[in-house]
Amino acid sequence: MMPDIDEALRYLGVGGEAPEELRQKTKMVAEALAAEVQPRYTFQIFDLTRGGDRFLLSNTDIALTGGTARKMLDQCDRAILLACTLGTRFDALLRTEQVRDMSRAVILDACGSALVESGCDAAEEEIRARFPDRYLTDRFSPGYGDLPLALQPLICAALDTPRRLGIHVTDSLLMNPAKSVTAVIGLSDRPQRARVRGCAYCSMRETCTLRKGGKTCAL
Amino acid sequence: MPCNFYEDKIVILDGAMGTVLQQKGLPPGGQPELLNLTDPALLDSVYRDYIAAGSQVIYANTFGANALKLGRTGHSVEEIITTAVTIAKRAAAGTGVRVALDMGPLGELLEPMGSLSFERAYELFREMAAAGEKAGADLVAIETMTDLYEAKAALLAVKENTELPVFVTMSFEERGRTFTGCTVASMARTLEGLGADAIGLNCSLGPDLLAPLLKELCENTRLPVIAKPNAGLPDPVDGHYDMGPEAFVEALLPCLEAGVTIFGGCCGTSPEYIRRLKVALEGKKPALRRYDEVGFVCTPVTPTRLDGVRVIGERVNPTGKKRFQQALLEEDLDYILDVAIQQEDAGADILDVNVGYPGVDEVAMLPRVVKKLQSAVSLPLQLDSSNPDALEAGLRVYNGKAAVNSVNGERAVLDRVLPIVKKYGASVVGLALDKGGIPQTAEGRVAIARRILDASLSYGIPKEDVWIDCLTLTVSAQQDQAVETLKAVRAVREELGLQTVLGVSNISFGLPNRPLITQNFLIQAMGMGLTLPIINPNQKEMMDAVAAFRVLSGEDVQCQTYVARFTGEPAPVKAVGPAADMTLDDAIIKGLKADAGALAKRALETESELDLVEKHLIPALDRVGEGYEKGKLFLPQLLSTAQAAQSVFEVIKTSIAEKGGTPVKKGQLVIATVQGDIHDIGKNIVKTVLENYGYEVIDLGRDVPPETIVETVVERNIRLVGLSALMTTTLPAMEETIRQLRELPDPPVTFVGGAVVTPEYAEKMGADYYSKDARQSVEIARKVLG
Repeated sequence: MMPDIDEALRYLGVGGEAPEELRQKTKMVAEALAAEVQPRYTFQIFDLTRGGDRFLLSNTDIALTGGTARKMLDQCDRAILLACTLGTRFDALLRTEQVRDMSRAVILDACGSALVESGCDAAEEEIRARFPDRYLTDRFSPGYGDLPLALQPLICAALDTPRRLGIHVTDSLLMNPAKSVTAVIGLSDRPQRARVRGCAYCSMRETCTLRKGGKTCAL
Repeated sequence: MPCNFYEDKIVILDGAMGTVLQQKGLPPGGQPELLNLTDPALLDSVYRDYIAAGSQVIYANTFGANALKLGRTGHSVEEIITTAVTIAKRAAAGTGVRVALDMGPLGELLEPMGSLSFERAYELFREMAAAGEKAGADLVAIETMTDLYEAKAALLAVKENTELPVFVTMSFEERGRTFTGCTVASMARTLEGLGADAIGLNCSLGPDLLAPLLKELCENTRLPVIAKPNAGLPDPVDGHYDMGPEAFVEALLPCLEAGVTIFGGCCGTSPEYIRRLKVALEGKKPALRRYDEVGFVCTPVTPTRLDGVRVIGERVNPTGKKRFQQALLEEDLDYILDVAIQQEDAGADILDVNVGYPGVDEVAMLPRVVKKLQSAVSLPLQLDSSNPDALEAGLRVYNGKAAVNSVNGERAVLDRVLPIVKKYGASVVGLALDKGGIPQTAEGRVAIARRILDASLSYGIPKEDVWIDCLTLTVSAQQDQAVETLKAVRAVREELGLQTVLGVSNISFGLPNRPLITQNFLIQAMGMGLTLPIINPNQKEMMDAVAAFRVLSGEDVQCQTYVARFTGEPAPVKAVGPAADMTLDDAIIKGLKADAGALAKRALETESELDLVEKHLIPALDRVGEGYEKGKLFLPQLLSTAQAAQSVFEVIKTSIAEKGGTPVKKGQLVIATVQGDIHDIGKNIVKTVLENYGYEVIDLGRDVPPETIVETVVERNIRLVGLSALMTTTLPAMEETIRQLRELPDPPVTFVGGAVVTPEYAEKMGADYYSKDARQSVEIARKVLG
């Protein structure tokens, strides 16, 4: 599995056309990364029940609250929790590269972000294949839109991520290893039109230099 | 109490606790240790079921009973463990079944991956182990570990604080690595060295997928081996494990043939699995084991078998290196790390680490350097010191199996250092000298080598962990000695069968064209049986000689490594250097590191160090910085320039260190990623850029408590502090840090940045400046520090 180069370049703050040299360098870093590290994921399906303005996941203490969950899960009766990570090996590579070559390190960091997203895409493909007669919502994550970041430890516990993937959540709700993602995907009998797009839902929202400069990448 | 788990006896453990409790109603993610207090009868029934099924050892329900995980429950470690062990002991009373204190991972990642220190982890495990022994546990089972470092902390805590036997099992993925990249061989040889009583694998996979890994494990240890696999893999839809008791037992039986003698089950198994296992193992005999007796050192990710020539890099050493000495005195560990990584990139297999220098507290410095190096270097280390306390401090925090350099034939030295080597399971270099000095004959040195071997064996250090240094003497001073050294190498290798070490570079001291002599000596020594040359791997002649030797010895199968090394290599050109018309400013702007360094050296012939900074470096950095601000250049390009600038700075620092002058520094500032935040690439980018403008950046690292920042500011009279935060959840820590800084009688200027920080937040928190990126932090530093 390879990281998407264009996505990695966007993470580097390149909004328009990337200089060829930078694109080539990013490609090389991406290939070296993919040879060394591959994303791993796990997911589990839960029944969804509506309790007032929240959605409860069966057999857990998890209640999905807020407008994003409401919009996305409105027509769903089940939900999947997904976790994906590049593992601590990526963090080790990044630590070494920061000593060796900071310029390559920031490219590696961007490629890592892109690669973990590719891992989530692959998980989504597998889910689609397992439920061929069901419709999936876009995936959405704690901390984005208005889905509370405080859900992070509950989701990781429900998926047993420390044991299955080696993902831990710190007291300040950070996931460790760094390139880790959790997400919710709704399952429905009807095609899903609600989308999570734009800056409010972007996984780059917090670090996007374009956004800090008042611009968007128009995705 | 005696608790022998000999290889010639089969032992049956229990099956899962967690998944059995879940079947009985515990929600996923719930804390099973609390059931010890709330539902002892439930646990009692699980234990009795396992005992009835045939378990000879049951694990008390204490997997997560550590102070970190119990922190929020209001219950103490001792309370939970005492209750848990008591329930299990009661269930086992009169059956002869033994009760193990179960210790799982702490639930937080250790340094360098997380911020939990090795020492704190040790303390948390110590608390559990002591409570377990007091409550009457018969043994300790450390299990489900994925980080060898954490397993080491736990094992040391048990060994140093209890008399109990101890099992250690770790969880592997199908590709033969744990989540943190640890290999089976690294695990086996490190834990055996540290004194575990039995080791093995548990959880993560079913017995079918664990079997090949268990076979590898059996080849890498003399200890009894444990298999406690899952009942296959869980189904994501219903959560059920896919292997029934029959299939489980059938897949587990081949492990007996591989040499496993201790069997049990993990997630998804139940008493029924254990009952079937017991029936299947009835009357079975343990298989014959074949231990691979090979020299070995490792880090978790890099197992290094000593079955050919392995290069030990010599550069992490202050002797004769002014710049390195300065780095040690200034505690500039980044410089030392850089030296180490260069050697790894140049092809070294092991790195010698020596930080002994007047004015340096080696006992404190060696463990710090070990931790620093292991945060980014994957090679095994050889700790080089004549101070036994420093060696012990370094070995204690080392992750993997290290080597110790050195002992000699003197009885007092052997008796002082060998117990430390044994305790931490290290390899040891023995110098072929004693009180009488270096024997002038090969026979004399071999006799000392034999004495060192005997002493090591008497301390329980296996033969393959003893390496002998027959000592290189300078050939221009003692010309007859080169031959004696070579003869001694041959004898130690052939007669004693030991690994041989030589500091090769000494040979050519005082002669012109040193590399030629050194290379020749290296080649002859390898021919005589030198296996561990200590050399400068950055010298191409030496590494070429090693590459060629590996072809001729047959180690480099089908010459693949050799061919890869020399294919496509351009014809050697004398004096490779920058193009004739390139200026220093060009080289910096284009980010050409090597060229910039070379041109800076040339420029220093006519210009002062300060001029180089003011007239070339800073204007060039500014030009690139402007391009970045305008969106014409991107972050990687800005950083390439910064690195080229860094190589210019290295030239300047070296030049000043050699003259003994004061370094060019534009002023000090502190930067830190605030408490709770563990991702720090943003802060490191700021550091790189600021340093290349000549600022002295005191980098306090990540997850830094406000108090540490305040203390540093006061102690070193700092006028500027930069703080970074990545998460909304850590902004309060940033605010608190600023609040504490502002309470100082003469508060420093603060600037803040990082993913979630906005100018509005910055103002609200009382920061003096908001910095949107690394470039802006330079502007702020200029305003404040000049």
